Amino acid sequence: MLAIHVENLVKTYDNRRVLDGVNLDVPEGEFYALMGPNGSGKTTLASIIAAVKTQDSGIVEVHGNKPAQAKEFIGYVPQENFSSPKLSGRENLVYFANLLGYSRSQANQLVAEVLKNVGLSEEADKRVAKYSGGMRKRLEVATAIFPGIKVLILDEPTTGLDPTARRAFFSMVQEIMDRKTSIILITHIGSDAELASRVGLIDNGKMIAEGTPDELKRKHAVEDVITVETAVKTDSVLSVLKGYSINGKVAESEAGYKIYSRNGDRVLADVVRSLDQAGHKVMRIEMARPTLEDVFFRLTERNLQEAMDN
Amino acid sequence: MWVLIGSFSFTGSAPQQVIPYIKGSIAISMMVFALMIAGMSNLPASIAGDRANGLLSKLISMPIKPYKDFIGRISAVITLSLLAAALVIVVGIAVGARFTGTGVEIPQAVGFVFLVICASAGVGLIIGTLIKNLQGAIMTGVGIAVITSAISGLFVPYEGLPVPLQTFARIYPISSAQASIVHLLAGPNMVAYNPLTSGQIALTIALSFALLLVGTVLYSRLGWKLE
Repeated sequence: MLAIHVENLVKTYDNRRVLDGVNLDVPEGEFYALMGPNGSGKTTLASIIAAVKTQDSGIVEVHGNKPAQAKEFIGYVPQENFSSPKLSGRENLVYFANLLGYSRSQANQLVAEVLKNVGLSEEADKRVAKYSGGMRKRLEVATAIFPGIKVLILDEPTTGLDPTARRAFFSMVQEIMDRKTSIILITHIGSDAELASRVGLIDNGKMIAEGTPDELKRKHAVEDVITVETAVKTDSVLSVLKGYSINGKVAESEAGYKIYSRNGDRVLADVVRSLDQAGHKVMRIEMARPTLEDVFFRLTERNLQEAMDN
Repeated sequence: MWVLIGSFSFTGSAPQQVIPYIKGSIAISMMVFALMIAGMSNLPASIAGDRANGLLSKLISMPIKPYKDFIGRISAVITLSLLAAALVIVVGIAVGARFTGTGVEIPQAVGFVFLVICASAGVGLIIGTLIKNLQGAIMTGVGIAVITSAISGLFVPYEGLPVPLQTFARIYPISSAQASIVHLLAGPNMVAYNPLTSGQIALTIALSFALLLVGTVLYSRLGWKLE
């Protein structure tokens, strides 16, 4: 059975199509990542599935119901930190449990269990203001895994988290998945999306590719990715690198430049030699398997960070 | 603060025996203004703040009815308003304010306080629904509270207002409720007109509830729908 079915979804803001005929099917129990830059429409899509916004046209179903009729199945965690910093973690959860109609004793019992699930039992009575970013996000996920939840929607949950907090966060997500909950992860971080069983790439309101992370890489990023870091970044360096990359495409990132080649082993040595001859010092050069960010770059000719900055 | 300043600034030339009741009416006006700020500024600020920090999205995604959120917000406004009202009255009494109302006038005055809270909360819900930005919501609420107070005789004597504003002061439910409270608790001599005629009371009640109703409908229809 499908947990989520989206068909030809259209949403317009100020005459701009934020979602332009999006189709999406997520089977029950699947961990699906929706990846794209800011403004690509991914958060709008998530909020329509979560019954927070309504579409202009198209079909959206959650377990066969319209989102507004399926709210008891949906656990939504918006990108913003919505928990109250003035209350403790436990008090925050009791507030949500009370809103859902649980009695005080039921709420206390349920909250203790949910806190355990997200690994916050020991910190439950601390004020949220004292929580780290990762702990606070786990608490907010806890508000979305009350009994009956079948679809968990996480909007950019790891933004701003350090690698340790990010690992802890995805360990918790793994445990939630083991309970057959379908998970939709909204992200612009390729390494987060890699953890999903399937990934949809969205740009300018359209799904531009979909598949398992390996499928996407095999199909759209068959090349080796060579990352080159030079002492300085100049047009001259760029010009040398363009000569070695397929179609002359060079992606710039904080780590340096990325070029794409079908014969990475040979090109690696040639790049070093050419840069040396042009008087540029190579600080670091390495070849790696393509990532989902590379897939996005190959499909849109923009790297994800650049697309977000625009 | 205004009660303190007002009690020394506006009573200079008045006969000695009247001064405690002038201070009483000033304390009541400031209490009403505090209620206006709670409803018109704090309430929309809480709505805009919850919209900005994602809580409103979270609540909308949950299987709960808007009225639960509405009741929570109104309860918070009532609690805040009553605390503010009590504080202002206590400060007023501490600086010499005295009141004439003793018996049935007190529950009647409390009824008018309730109407001020309803009308202010109604305006606050309208602002919170229409103004999405936190600072914008706060400033709009404070602006409306200050301007309507100034032109409806809350800060200046009713008889000093131009005739069109005197009409406004009688129609605006908050100023007419304030005049009613002053009439009941500080004496009829402290009010330039009789706000306790049946027609005036009916108008104050009707418009207070109308503002609350408009605010409630707008908030539950538009505030709970993020486009």
